[in-house]
Parts: sequence; C-alpha cells; structure tokens
Amino acid sequence: MSELLQYVLTGLAVGIVYALIALGFALIWKSSSVANLALGQIVLISSWFTYSMVSGNQLGLPYWIGLPLTIGFAIFLGWVIERFTLRPLIAQPILAMITVTLGVGYFLEGLVTFLWPVSVGALPRLFPVEPVHIGPAVISQQYLWAAVISLVLFGALSIFFKYHKMGIAMRATADDQMAVQACSIPVTSVFSASWIFACIVAAIGGVLVSSIAGITNGLIETGLKSFSVVILGGLDSFIVCMVAGPIVGLCENLGGGYLTPIIGAGIKDIIPYIIIVIVVIIKPYGLFGETRIERI
Amino acid sequence: MDLPSGTRNYDYARDMAVLRTKTHWVLFTCFLIILFTAPLYLRDNVLSVLNLIGITIIAVTGLNILVGYCGQLSIGHAGFMAAGAYTSGILTSQLHWPFLAGLLLAGFSAGLIGIIFGLPSVRVKGFYLAITTIAAQFIIIWVINHWTNVTGGFNGMNVTKASIDGFVFRSQASQYFLIMAVTALCIFFAKNLARGRVGRAFIAVRDNDLAAEVMGINLLYYKLLAFFIGCFLAGIAGALQGQLYGFLNAEYFTLTTSILYIGMVIIGGVGTTIGPIIGVVVIRLLEQLITYISPFIEGAIPALSTGFTTGLGPMLFGLAIILFLILEPRGLAHRWALFKAAYRLWPFSY
Repeated sequence: MSELLQYVLTGLAVGIVYALIALGFALIWKSSSVANLALGQIVLISSWFTYSMVSGNQLGLPYWIGLPLTIGFAIFLGWVIERFTLRPLIAQPILAMITVTLGVGYFLEGLVTFLWPVSVGALPRLFPVEPVHIGPAVISQQYLWAAVISLVLFGALSIFFKYHKMGIAMRATADDQMAVQACSIPVTSVFSASWIFACIVAAIGGVLVSSIAGITNGLIETGLKSFSVVILGGLDSFIVCMVAGPIVGLCENLGGGYLTPIIGAGIKDIIPYIIIVIVVIIKPYGLFGETRIERI
Repeated sequence: MDLPSGTRNYDYARDMAVLRTKTHWVLFTCFLIILFTAPLYLRDNVLSVLNLIGITIIAVTGLNILVGYCGQLSIGHAGFMAAGAYTSGILTSQLHWPFLAGLLLAGFSAGLIGIIFGLPSVRVKGFYLAITTIAAQFIIIWVINHWTNVTGGFNGMNVTKASIDGFVFRSQASQYFLIMAVTALCIFFAKNLARGRVGRAFIAVRDNDLAAEVMGINLLYYKLLAFFIGCFLAGIAGALQGQLYGFLNAEYFTLTTSILYIGMVIIGGVGTTIGPIIGVVVIRLLEQLITYISPFIEGAIPALSTGFTTGLGPMLFGLAIILFLILEPRGLAHRWALFKAAYRLWPFSY
C-alpha cells in the first residue's frame, strides 16, 4: 500500500514537471503551428548554462543571480532560434518546419559537446533533500518543491495569457492568424514572444529536473518524453498539459514500479513512448483534442 | 532544359528512358567501370569509407521514398535499420541460414515493423507522425537492449561475414563488390519505382493526400506501401552493415543517426533519386574531413576545448540542415540540375 502511494506521489510530481516542459511545446504549437523537436536540447543547454553560472567549480554564483541569468539566456536563445531559423520559413511546408527544428536540436547538441565536454554535471542543491513522510509513503522533498514551483509558474502563465495584452494576442494568433493580422497585431513578434516564453519554461523545467537528477544527455529524452504529454492531452488548450502530465507521470511510475519484475528493468523509460503509439493509433488528436476536419 | 538540344522524343519509350544520348551512355559506362574496378587501385581504408557510403545510400534512398516521395516524415529510420540488422544477424549467425535469405528476410521484417508504426499515418500526419516514429525508434532499441537471450542485449552480438555459395566476403574489397552491387540494384529499383504508377501515387499523396484520395488513390494502401518499401531498404542496409562490421550493437542505431539520415535527404534534395546519393556522399566525406583535420586544428590552437572534435561535426551538420532548408530547400540535386543546364547552354546562356 505504501508502495502504491509512493509511486502515485512521485508520478504526480514528475508528471507536473513534464507538463511544464510540454507547456513550452504547446505555446509554440498553438501560436505558430511549429512542432519544436529541439525542446530536449533547449532543456539541456539551459541546464548546462545554469551549471556554468552556479556550479562551485565554474563561476559559483548564488542561485538568485544564476537563475535570472539563465532566464536571460533562455530569452536570447528563443529569440535567436525564432528570428534566424523559423521566420525565414514562414508559410513553408510543415515538413520543412519540423526538420528545421531537428537541425536546431542537432546544432545545440553539438554546441553542448563543444562548450561542456564533460558530459555529466551536477548542479548545487536547490531544495532540501530530507525526505517527507506522507502517510506510509516516503517522498523526496525535491520532487514536491519542483511540482510546487511548476504549478506556481503554470498559474502565473495562465494569468498572463488571460489578462496581459501580449497573452491575449498570443491566444488570438493561435485562433486565427489572418484575423489577428487584420487587427494590426504584429504576428511575427507574437511568434517571437511564444518562442521566448517556451524557452523560459523549458529552461526552468530543465533546472528543476537537473537540480534533482544531474545534467546528462538524458535531459534530451526528458524533453522527448514530454511530447507524450502533448500527444495525450491533445494540444487544444494549455490546461490539458496540466491534466495529461500527471497521467503520464503516473503511468511511468506505476508501470515502472509494477512491471519491472515482470518485463525487466528499464520498462519505465519507454512507457511514455508506448503511450504515444497507443494514443496516436486509437485517438489521434488526444484525450481532449478536437478532431480536425480538413478540406481540399 | 533537362536535355541537350537536338534530343527529341519520337516515342514514349524514348521519352521515359533514363539514358538519352550517346554521351549519357559513354559517361554511364565509364562510371560503372570506375565503380567496379575501384578496389584494384584504392586502399582498404578508402574502401571502408566507400562501403559505409554504399550502405548509407541504401538506407537514405529508402527514407527518401518515404519522406521525399510520399511525404511521410519518419525520424525512426535507424530503428528500422536496427530491426533488419538484428533479423539478418540472428538468422545467419545463430540459425545458420544462407546470407541472401537472411538479407531478404531482414528487409521483410523491417518493412513489417515499419507498417506497424506507419499505421497511424492513415489518420495523422506531420508532427504526430514524426513523434510516432521517434517513439518507434526508442521502442525498437529498447526491445533490442532488453531481449538479452536473443539479441545479446547491451553487450551486442557477433555476426558472421556474408557468404554466397561457400565464398566468404572477408576483405574490404570483396565487401565492396557485394555492397555496391546491392546499392546499384536498390537505386535502380528506386528510380523505376519513382517514375511508375506507384511513384506517381506517392507524389499525389505527398502533395495533397485528401485530393489524392478523391482521385481514387487508396491512401491506406499507398501510405503503408511507402512505409514498407522505405523500411525494407533500411532493413537491407542494416543487414549489410551488420555483416560488414561483424558485430551488432544498439549504439549503431541511435536517434542521432535517424536525424542524420533526414539531414542527408534534405541536403541532397528531397524527392529525387540522385539527391540521396549526393547527400550521403557529401555528408560522409565531410565527416571524414572533420575527423581528419580536427586534430590539426586542435594542435594549432591549444585553447580549444576537448569537445571540439566531437562537437564540431554535429554543429556543422545542424547548421547545414538549417541553411539548406532556408536557402536551398530543393537541395544539392537542384544545384546539380542547374549546373548541367548552364553547362549545356554555355557559352550562349540565353
């Protein structure tokens, strides 16, 4: 019983962090219909940047300076990617849009190897490590903190999208680009903003994950796994990420907990991918997504 | 513009012919002679690069049929290649089947796995399909790594060299003949597929699948056929690679490799037969160049970090994908066509 509770709690907490990273994907997809497959690499490079700033054997700044610097870096990264790779490709076929993000991802991966050749890094502790006892379960405090921060950030972003002018413009662009342009809202700067926000969200998600588990190339997989959140949720509103994320986290941890003795170690790692295949075959537009009707 | 002046189409057969003029025939014959006499005057390390190029051409030609002609993005091509490699490896090394049977079955098994993961393509496209194929990549590699008693798991698996009728392809030179023969067959097949009924159906599906369906093209059939053929060729390439190295490990077939293949298709030219060949040759030679010169650069500039050699390749390659997509989306094949036209019209280019 305590095992079950343990898996559920860890799953929920991890799922919320996945949801945060997936939110970064959904932001871009909603406003510009670009599928950002470089998400994992953005998570990775932001974590390494944070490492450079705050780690003891690098610059060794405290977190309260390092984190704003990381966010600044994410803003810069998002702006550069949008301005120099996506904007020249506006109105190109979807295939080009997807593959260019693959190219960006490949480039960033090379850049990471180039600048941080050590391949494994550890961030200084961001949260206390003492485990918390909830009923019979023992859960690491770090996961709870990560989940809480993700939820707060998600709330803040929701308020931004609901009330701020730019947020409203971004939602409007998601709905109908032509109409937005007719209202003299600069669509290109909306695209820029969506990339910037996506990179910020991905960077914070990356710092949360890597402060717990260290920085490795596995962060790219964390980014890829968060696609299962997007697919399961269905991309139609931001709130579905917050529902689908914990579901994926639960599946991963429960499956990892109970299937490992039956199937073998490592099943946990591919559960998100199995979810993707099942969802795409059975219910392609996700649990909450609208079925799209196309015309010739 | 595609043909030298004075070349006329008197009948359909001549219109469809690949080699149109005497010069074409002469050049083609010379090319074949050079191709198949290369082992006589090239060293083994050059031949090993050429062997790798041949294998990659097979895989990328398959991917080009899938992505370039049928428009179904697959980012799991290395996974399908792994499926073929392990099928052939198990059949020939553990069950002692003849090599050719293993090669064909490798193609079929990879093709069938491709069909399974291609099934969603009937209902979704674009990003959803891309993600599904990424998932395929991870699931296939996971199965290979964890099905230890069959595939050897993380430790990998030894594969016997190819042999036909008692002749074992041990040296790089003999491997070269085997691989180039299969590569030539695959290119011939791809070229003819692309300009026949199936190829035209693929192009219709790529350009607008709904319109194609309205015209009476069976989407389910043709999309799955594209997945089957694309993955079939990947499986063949995998089987050849396995027996060339004599060893199989899931490390050879990572997601990075899949993305590399996509990049080769783009840089070469999407939806042309010559494109994948150019793309593979250019990228593989570029890789060789980087591994060759980066020690010199590192020696000359000691301030460079140790990640320079390993990081430079991916950076240049990612940059190449981005630049080609933005500046020349039709790839080097288009440049090559422009060059041919300019060359023929020279010196009167108007």
